Amino acid sequence: MDSVLEAAIWFWIPLLLVPLGIWMSLSGKAKTPGKILAVSGFILVLISSWTVPSSDSTASGHLILSILAPSLLMAYGVHGMIFGGNVPVGKLDSSARWSGSLAILISLTILCLMHWYNLTPLWRNGEINPYWIVFWPTFLLFATSLCSVSAIALVGLGEDRLNEAMKLSVLSVIIAGIALVAMLFDGYFTTAEDFRNALWLAAADILGTVLGVILAIAAFAIVIWSYEKSLPLPSSSPPPSDEEIKHVISIADSHIGGEEE
Amino acid sequence: MREARSSWKLLALAAILPILVLVTINLSISDGYHSESFKRFGNALLTAYVLMGILLLGNLFFYADSRHRPFAPLVGMMVAIGIGLLVTWALISNDDLLLEANSGLRAQVLSNIVHLLVSATAMLLAAVLAIGATFAMITGRKRSILFEEEE
Repeated sequence: MDSVLEAAIWFWIPLLLVPLGIWMSLSGKAKTPGKILAVSGFILVLISSWTVPSSDSTASGHLILSILAPSLLMAYGVHGMIFGGNVPVGKLDSSARWSGSLAILISLTILCLMHWYNLTPLWRNGEINPYWIVFWPTFLLFATSLCSVSAIALVGLGEDRLNEAMKLSVLSVIIAGIALVAMLFDGYFTTAEDFRNALWLAAADILGTVLGVILAIAAFAIVIWSYEKSLPLPSSSPPPSDEEIKHVISIADSHIGGEEE
Repeated sequence: MREARSSWKLLALAAILPILVLVTINLSISDGYHSESFKRFGNALLTAYVLMGILLLGNLFFYADSRHRPFAPLVGMMVAIGIGLLVTWALISNDDLLLEANSGLRAQVLSNIVHLLVSATAMLLAAVLAIGATFAMITGRKRSILFEEEE
C-alpha cells in the first residue's frame, strides 16, 4: 500500500475522528456512537507508530502515549487534592490531599526523569522522539505562566488569598527553575543547547497559538454579532383583549384573598 | 471599571512575565535568538486560527438550532477560515517565508497540524496542573464558621 494512503488510514482519519466523535457526543444526537468514535480514534492515534512506522507524523501519537501515564497520574493527583479539601459535594477522605500531592510530585518527577534519565521517549531505531523537545519546554513555559496568572488572580480577584497565592507563586518559580536547570545542564539524550533552541520555538509556539485562538474567537464573535445586528427588531405583541383581561382577573381573584383566621 | 481594566492588564503581565524572564535568561546564555522562531510563530498562529475556526464552525450548528438555521453565519465563518487558509498558502508557497524543514506546502501544513497537536497537549497538561493547583489551594483552606449555629 502507498505510504501516504497508509498514513491517511491509520493516523490522519483516526485523528479526525477524535474531534468528530466529541462533537457528535456533545451535540446529544449520537452520544454513544460519538464516544466510541472518539475513543477508538484516540487509541488508533496512540498506536500509530506501530501501525504506520514509515510516517513521521506518528511520532506525535507515540509521544502522547509516552506521557499518558504521568499525565493520568497528575490528573488523579489534582482530583484528589481538590476533592480532599473543603468541597460541598463529592468530598473525598482527607488523606486524598496527601496522596494527590504525592501523585503530582511523582508525575513531575517522571517528566523530569524523561529529560535527565533514560526514560526519554525513544522512537525509530533508538532515536529520541523529535516531539519530546517540543513538548517539554512548552509544558514548562506554559505551566509557569499559568501558575503566575493564577497567583495574581487569587490576590487581585479574591479576598484574603495571599497565602494561597504565595504557594502558587512558589510552584511557578519551581517550574521556572526546572526550565532554568534544563537550559544549563544536558539531558540524557539532549543537550542544554538543544533545550535552549527549543525554548525559543516553544515561546513562539505558545504566543502564536494563543494569538491564533484569540483571532479565531474574534472572527466568530464578529460573524455572530453582524448576523444578529442584521436581524429586524421583533414586533411588539398586541395589547390583551377584554376577554383575556377578565381571564387574568379571575385567576388572580382565585389566588388572592385566602381564609379568614 | 478602571479597576477591572487594570486587573486584566496585571493578569496579562503575569502571564507574559515568566516567559519573558526565561527567554531573557536564554538570550543571555545563548549566542542569540533562534532564526526559525518567527516561522514557528507564524505557522502556530495560522494553524491555531484555522483549526479553532473549524471547531467554532462546528459550534455554529448548535447556534443554528436556536435560530431557524440561518445560512449567513456559516458562510461568514467559512470566509473567515478561507482567509486563514489563503494567507497560509501564500506565506508558505511564496519566498520561503514560513516554510520550515519540510519539502513543500502539503508537508508543511501536515507538520503544522501535528506540531499543534503536541504543543496543545503540553498546554493542556500545564493547564490541568495550574488550574488544578489553584482549586486545590482554594479548597485546602479550613472552613470558616460564619454563625455559631453552623456548629
